[in-house]
Amino acid sequence: MKNSSKKFNGSESLKSTAKEPLKELKSSESPQNDDLIITEVPDSIIKTLESRIDHMCVKKDEGDERGPSCNMASVPGAVTQRSCVYGGARVVLMPITDAIHLVHGPIGCASCTWDIRGSRSSGEELYKKGFSTNLQEKDIVFGGEKKLFDTIIELNGIYNPAAIFVYSTCVVGLIGDDLKSVAREAEEITKCRIIPVQSEGFRSFNKSLGHQLACDAMLDHLIGTGELEKPEKLGLGQKSLASTQEKGPTLNIVGEFNVAGDLWAIQPLIEKMGITVQSAITGDSCVEEIANAHRADLNIVQCQKSSNYLARQMEEKYGIPHLKVNFFGIEDTGKSLLSIADFFQDQYPEIREIAEKIIETEIKKVRSEISHYKTRLTGKRVAVYVGGNKAWSLISAFEELGMKVIMTGTQNGLPEDYHRIMETVSEGTLVVDDANSMELAKLLKKYHPDLIVSGAKEKYMAHKLGIPFCDFNHDRISSFASFNGFINFAKEVDRAVSSPVWKLTSKYYQGIV
Amino acid sequence: MSDVNIVERGRTLVVNPLITCQPLGAMFATLGIHRGLPLVHGSQGCNTFVRYAFNRHFREPAEIAVTSLHEDAAVFGGRSNLINGIKNLSKRFRPDLIGVVTTCSSEIIGDDVEGFMKVAHKELAEEIGEEKANKTKLVHISTPSFVEHHFRGYGNAVKAFVNTLTEEPTESNDKLNIIPGMVNPGDIREIKHILGLMGTEAIVLSDTSDPFDSPLRPSTTESMPFYPKGGTRVEEIADSSNSLGTISLPFYGDDAANSLEKKYDVPAKIGPMPIGVQNTDEFVRNVTKLTGLEASEELLDERGLLIDSMADLCSRYLFGRKVAIYGDPALVMGMARFVCEIGMIPSFVCTGVENPEFVEEMKKVGKESEGPVEVMPGSDLRALEVRLEEEPVDLVIGNSEGRLITRDLDIPLVRVGFPVYDRAGYHRVPIVGYNGSVNLIDRITNIVMEKYYDEQHWKLQQ
Repeated sequence: MKNSSKKFNGSESLKSTAKEPLKELKSSESPQNDDLIITEVPDSIIKTLESRIDHMCVKKDEGDERGPSCNMASVPGAVTQRSCVYGGARVVLMPITDAIHLVHGPIGCASCTWDIRGSRSSGEELYKKGFSTNLQEKDIVFGGEKKLFDTIIELNGIYNPAAIFVYSTCVVGLIGDDLKSVAREAEEITKCRIIPVQSEGFRSFNKSLGHQLACDAMLDHLIGTGELEKPEKLGLGQKSLASTQEKGPTLNIVGEFNVAGDLWAIQPLIEKMGITVQSAITGDSCVEEIANAHRADLNIVQCQKSSNYLARQMEEKYGIPHLKVNFFGIEDTGKSLLSIADFFQDQYPEIREIAEKIIETEIKKVRSEISHYKTRLTGKRVAVYVGGNKAWSLISAFEELGMKVIMTGTQNGLPEDYHRIMETVSEGTLVVDDANSMELAKLLKKYHPDLIVSGAKEKYMAHKLGIPFCDFNHDRISSFASFNGFINFAKEVDRAVSSPVWKLTSKYYQGIV
Repeated sequence: MSDVNIVERGRTLVVNPLITCQPLGAMFATLGIHRGLPLVHGSQGCNTFVRYAFNRHFREPAEIAVTSLHEDAAVFGGRSNLINGIKNLSKRFRPDLIGVVTTCSSEIIGDDVEGFMKVAHKELAEEIGEEKANKTKLVHISTPSFVEHHFRGYGNAVKAFVNTLTEEPTESNDKLNIIPGMVNPGDIREIKHILGLMGTEAIVLSDTSDPFDSPLRPSTTESMPFYPKGGTRVEEIADSSNSLGTISLPFYGDDAANSLEKKYDVPAKIGPMPIGVQNTDEFVRNVTKLTGLEASEELLDERGLLIDSMADLCSRYLFGRKVAIYGDPALVMGMARFVCEIGMIPSFVCTGVENPEFVEEMKKVGKESEGPVEVMPGSDLRALEVRLEEEPVDLVIGNSEGRLITRDLDIPLVRVGFPVYDRAGYHRVPIVGYNGSVNLIDRITNIVMEKYYDEQHWKLQQ
């Protein structure tokens, strides 16, 4: 943050080297596939603040792996698409279904974030409620510890939850409430797990710190505290391997939040391989499962943005190795299953064969189901602006549909994320870091892709520009993970792109003709 | 005449809140200014989550900038963030107005917001010239998140616009100032429609109707940025001192209205939210008092249409049914009165706001109600849920946040207010005025029919 402040906190002059007026593409004349290769660096294309120019780059050739500048504070006064540290922590922990998520702060921090993640639950719905200590002026003056303590006692009395996560917000950091000691004291009295999450919103410009703080909260207070001898959550799939050994192979699915039921598409595949899923962290999970996560043989990491840290720490602490996986896209789902099989192969030699069989059947099925969509989508151009690992994992998924990603970016990418992105994208792809709404709008207007994949904040802006939108964020309602999810994905993309409304939005249809 | 019981929440904890913090209301109001942009002086979540909330409800973009306060600002103050934020935003977006919305953190840090704004303006004038810099009006909206609620934040924003931008009166503009409250685009359009029928025009403070419901017509000329059409112009706010009067529909718009009265002798009327016959009549009477204009024939016909639909529907489907209403206190006040007019009993009226106006109004409603009214000020959805478990009602009226509670209790939910994210088009359909009340009675009756009559499949059920 220090080195960034000299350059990025400053107000800047606008820079544009564009001499000629923008040429826009009619949507009806969108160039197909290779017609458009972006060769210019963006500063000659769109007008932006000087310091922002380094945050955009175009992949020049195969070996070009120099990504954009990233992981820096946003320019003040920008309509940044980013969120706060509290938001980062909240999204990681929110899917724990039988826990209470108590927000210690003014009412807004809870009001604006309760139940906003489409993480589904197969049982408990406690996580969908919004809890706040509703700090008032007098609490700011005299401190909010007493209020927090009373609130926890009340909560425990009403709900008797499996755990209470207590999030600190900006205000708490400023008035200096000691969350940890209150939590400790309340835990002694209630005998319920009271878990402090030190997620003051302003702690970083990057909400990834919030992800990490959420992981820390689980590592320090939850994982390893379980008393179960055996994993309680037994798979629904075959138990052939499990029966030959006393205890079959087990794993945790880390960084899978069951948005739209993604976990439910991944878990059966793993169980078919004879592996028991000890816990998902944190999708559709309950506190006790996560408390026993340290008993698993392996961690597989789906959202590497938020959860690599957790996997690394568990490896260090409990010696559980981890694998990076990606269950978006056919190829990547297959590769992920094989890598899991390879991991267990020494102990369970037949597992590779089972995995290969699953993959063969599933891929065959999926390819035939998506062929219809592929015909309609081939050659279409896509812009991707998402958080985390999706910026690269979506690229091969779109290739599978014959579509080309011409622009990709993330709000909070780290250098390693952009390295991965640069490796994956093809030549002439524009890569943007922390694009603010104006830059996004300008880029969309300039390139007029056939689709943008993003979240709710970008949806309506894209629509106003006449660009179809596909949700790949918290608001998503159909599962995109694993083989079946890919069929849903193809369907959703087709629904967005092929909707007849887009024939009416071209700027050449301004009036009635 | 029925009993009115006032019930306290009775616990420290808030579960499933019915209010949010002040900045949201201020951002909402600022987006109702033509080429107006809110600049939130706080953390990145303070604007991001509010943008989500607006996106979901209106299905429209919402451009809200932030100064991105971080740890160093918490220690050393947010001076450079705010000054540079204003400058960057002005240069890039060339807005007509920037509403500088404070938050909990910037209020606690104790930033001299006014001072920083002056510095920003001065530096901006040096960099881009006095004339250009003057085109962007800077308005300081103080909205500490730990005081009151988002409705007050809305009121504070409108007050700040009026206090900062209104000029000394010159000659009457024959218009009325309307402070509509945190209502939907459809509601504001309905109010304008009524005033149109009466032969006058409104300066809406602030007019969120077009910005939150704008056409998809990609511009052929304008490159950037894309400001939505509409919104209240800065000149209109300046002109509001020349108006014949100010009507604030919600009680939380009182500060701005009173300020105009005190400073420029523009008479103020506060409330009521014109839902139902009596409240809309009162609104029309207020317009008449302030402008001298009478209700036109067309307007009286619209009133007649409402009464006609009440006559057709009320006794058959609605009379005697118990209702729980929650949400925006001003809307709840209006709806509670309206449900009494159609013979329903507002058994529970619940709001997150603790204020005497609400309780006083409910005492009046009690006099009009066929059955006892339980008033729950400063409450939350959990409190309502507990009461509904004990004493079920036939119908619940409120925003989408009650969907899980009503599902669990198997009571139908009539969606009204903000936010409604799980139904389409509700932001366009007015519930205020005579026409809006027709919509409301239709909406209520259709849900009652679906729940309580459909199983009988009567063709004769006209």
